Amino acid sequence: MIAVPSSELVRLAGLNFGYGGAPLLCDVSLDVPTGKFLTLLGPSGCGKTTLLKLIGGYLKPQSGSILLRGKDLTHTPPEERGIGMVFQNYALFPHLSAKRNISFSLDVRGVAKSERDDRVERMLDLVGLTKFERDRLPALLSGGQQQRVALARALVFRPDLLLLDEPLANLDRHLRDQLRNELRRLQEQTGVTAVMVTHDQEEAMAISDFVGVMNEGKLLQIGSPKEIYHRPETPFVARFMGPANIFSADFPGASREKPLMIRPEQVVLGEAADHCSWSVPGTILSVSFLGPDMMVQVTTNGGLSLMVRVRSCDSIVHGKGIGPGQEIRVGIPSHALWQIPGSDGEGIST
Amino acid sequence: MNPRPYLLAGPAATLLIGLLVCPLLLVIRVSLYQPANGRGFFTPGTWTLANHSALMDAHGLGLVGYTIAFGAMIAVVVVMVSFPLALFLRSLNFPLQRLAIAGITLPKFASVLVILFGLQQLLGDTGPVNRMLLTWGIVSEPLRMMRGLFGALLGEVFLILPYAVILLFVQVLEIDPILESSARGLGASRWQVFRRITLPLAMPGLVLAGQLALVWGMGAFLGPLLLGSPENTTLSVEIQRQAFEYGRWPRAAALSIQLILAIGICLGALTFLHNQVSGRRLGGDR
Repeated sequence: MIAVPSSELVRLAGLNFGYGGAPLLCDVSLDVPTGKFLTLLGPSGCGKTTLLKLIGGYLKPQSGSILLRGKDLTHTPPEERGIGMVFQNYALFPHLSAKRNISFSLDVRGVAKSERDDRVERMLDLVGLTKFERDRLPALLSGGQQQRVALARALVFRPDLLLLDEPLANLDRHLRDQLRNELRRLQEQTGVTAVMVTHDQEEAMAISDFVGVMNEGKLLQIGSPKEIYHRPETPFVARFMGPANIFSADFPGASREKPLMIRPEQVVLGEAADHCSWSVPGTILSVSFLGPDMMVQVTTNGGLSLMVRVRSCDSIVHGKGIGPGQEIRVGIPSHALWQIPGSDGEGIST
Repeated sequence: MNPRPYLLAGPAATLLIGLLVCPLLLVIRVSLYQPANGRGFFTPGTWTLANHSALMDAHGLGLVGYTIAFGAMIAVVVVMVSFPLALFLRSLNFPLQRLAIAGITLPKFASVLVILFGLQQLLGDTGPVNRMLLTWGIVSEPLRMMRGLFGALLGEVFLILPYAVILLFVQVLEIDPILESSARGLGASRWQVFRRITLPLAMPGLVLAGQLALVWGMGAFLGPLLLGSPENTTLSVEIQRQAFEYGRWPRAAALSIQLILAIGICLGALTFLHNQVSGRRLGGDR
């Protein structure tokens, strides 16, 4: 059982789900702490959206249970769960104005008109929708505005839990970065517990308190963004979170049975390598320019191939310059080396 | 102006002018002749409004009223039956859905007369349904289902239903089920989801299906003729009677114009009503 230490709002225990053939979700257990932002991360088809729909009540699990504040919701229909959800394409009601979309949850609850208008107005201010946009039909709003309406609609009835299914996927990059920060600000301001689904690891790390990595219907690891990035429990998690050098080698204090990992930006090149606990001569194979960084492929004389990320403004680049065929010192600081405890085949070690 | 797109409408326009506009003008002229004096269809060279004013008497108004009521009943019944059926079809999975649609359109492959005579046999006073009811003692004398309003309605509904179902099915297929899911997530009960999401989004289709059924029902001929009562009947049946039984062609022509006007007014009223309702929904607060 993977657990995040803290009092949990949501507890999922042994969830299984599938349509006949291969299961879409396999024995998923997880706690979501109150007031935190959890992101479920994984490639498409890994079951993350299915898990979100199970929490929302839009799908029923084959087995396992879903608890909200300790209350079993496994068989409760979505309208009685009181959970806000932002769907991938927002699912705004096309025949209702932005305002009426947002007030929908209050209308069906029979909230008095004055209170309803008040709450809708405050929500509209919070998500930053102008007066002009409030009475428009969704089709006349831009993607970013639709996203704000969907967020306001999911939050206006003050749910304990907010579910977000790839809420930023349909926006262009610039807007995505901006709304990512707004989303986090909104979550902190309202204090709502949030569970978001995404396939973008950068987005997941930037926004979340905790990240859960999924693959093939299984939850592989859950932890803070730093833990997941630097201390992955399986090679899959290591690779999914970003470029990784994964290899087997004899290092002091490391077992040869389990793979070692080091991130490209942690490998040291040039004279500075001599200060590392382990340094050897090597040769540059290739260099690719990525803007702020350069990705350098090196091979040590011992035959170990490594990706190295170097700042474009680094003195090593400006001094002698670096190019293919050049000989260079390669250093690995021992604190940066991580032995991956689990393997992808057997799933997770708990 | 590029004339090419207009050429595409050429064949249809030719048909429309040749088979609808020209005969219609002819009908208008015929309705203004005096009735035939023993020979021919009418008295040539005469002008009168008598054929039209004759419709304003009790019998004429009764005919128009019955026709409108018949069309309205058809529209209501057809929409009430086809809407749930269309929603049901939407909920089916692919192979089953195809099969169900094939089943619904299948009667359209049979001749209209075969269907109506079949219904007459099935539900007639001595038909199998009545025999069964009598045998089981549910009724003491045959239930009169044919030769009356019920029979005429049933026949016409049976003929119109497949079109209305297909039309509505296409409309409800456009409604993304995620909208209904999301409404439930926001706290709406199944009924509230239907009332506030499904129904308004299906409304254009419902109005269209209602208009189709209304036009068809008001113009209904074979159903009322074969399964309806001989006394109360629609304008179409009366037109046929006036022309072919009594030989009063100018009167039949006047009735035809009356029917077209009545259908036009009813369609206009329905459209106006729909625009009022949808306008209020968009602009208003509740």
